[in-house]
Amino acid sequence: MLVGLLMLMGGVAAGAFGSLLGLGGGVLIVPLLTLGFGLPLRDAVGVSLVCVIMTSSAAAGVYLERHVANLRLGMTLELFTALGALIGGSIAFLLDERLLALLFAGLLAYVAATMVRAALRAPAVRTAVARDPLAVPPEVAGVPPEVAGAPPSGLVDPQAGYVVGRFPTGIAGSVGAGVVSALLGIGGGIIKVPLMHLVMGVPLRVATATSNLMIGITAAASAVIYLLRGGIDPYVAGPTVIGVFVGATLGSRLGHRVQVRYLQGMFVVVLGYTAIQMLLRAIG
Amino acid sequence: MLKVMTYVAVGLLLVGVLAMIMARISPIDAWPALDPGALPAQLVAATPVAFLWLGLLAVIATPIVRVIAAGVAYASGGEWRMVAISIAILAVIIVGVASAVGTEA
Repeated sequence: MLVGLLMLMGGVAAGAFGSLLGLGGGVLIVPLLTLGFGLPLRDAVGVSLVCVIMTSSAAAGVYLERHVANLRLGMTLELFTALGALIGGSIAFLLDERLLALLFAGLLAYVAATMVRAALRAPAVRTAVARDPLAVPPEVAGVPPEVAGAPPSGLVDPQAGYVVGRFPTGIAGSVGAGVVSALLGIGGGIIKVPLMHLVMGVPLRVATATSNLMIGITAAASAVIYLLRGGIDPYVAGPTVIGVFVGATLGSRLGHRVQVRYLQGMFVVVLGYTAIQMLLRAIG
Repeated sequence: MLKVMTYVAVGLLLVGVLAMIMARISPIDAWPALDPGALPAQLVAATPVAFLWLGLLAVIATPIVRVIAAGVAYASGGEWRMVAISIAILAVIIVGVASAVGTEA
């Protein structure tokens, strides 16, 4: 019972952190289950994919009600992301787990570096976007704060229309996001948000809402494969998914009361430590 | 509808977890594989894993239902290109199911 309680609490923390910092829970869930509970990496990825779906589903209503997401763009890119997830889900069972651990360590390092780089570039940009539970803080999206929705600077005007460009690059990036999602048990938002915003010219708020709405579909495309290939442990998934639901719900309601900067600092430390542990696991 | 599905999924998982606790099953215990044919009997017997599998299936099905709902909405609005995209997404998921089933067989 203690193990189940710990998994539930871990899920709450992952869901809350993910919600507050604009990330899906996968970045936290997979290391938690592998390093904390000794689960095989592939089993942890399967559970994490279900958690990502729950995170997306828990918040989908808010995104739809606010009419912020670009559903047509999201659905179009999602076709290619789902293709990538199909590819990733198919090869996931062929790859050595140490290679997956190495890839995951690289992902954690990338996320941590992105957050540190953005924080060093402009230490304090508190905008309505950063306090909006729908938004990925610029530090996470790797977006220069001056572009990310700060008071109009000539670079971004939230009130103006926008034109989506560089579609072929967006398609290629979406396939990549799908592959990574299926291999590592993440939602893919960490790739798709910068892709839509920095490459395709979508406003950050729209990119974030669109990505958050779509990561559930991305995860479902590969979760189905994991489910049918015996890659999802129901005894682990049960308490963890419940925890993520509670955490994501709490995080979205309390986001405006939390000093995100301190959470980000703590998160970077946790990411760095976890990346090292995953690297050690990969080296064996 | 999607909110309802999410709450139903969470509810089923909660019942499953509570049943696990009552049966003194630990999350690190060996787990029975998903057997759709045996699921109804397992439900009748109120085995924990039956509720967990149903809850997980509901979670995974929710985004798929979202795609179907979007396709229906686009069809009613006459946006046939988006209908085609919705169908294509579903086709990708079906191909994934078929490949997984074929591999296991």
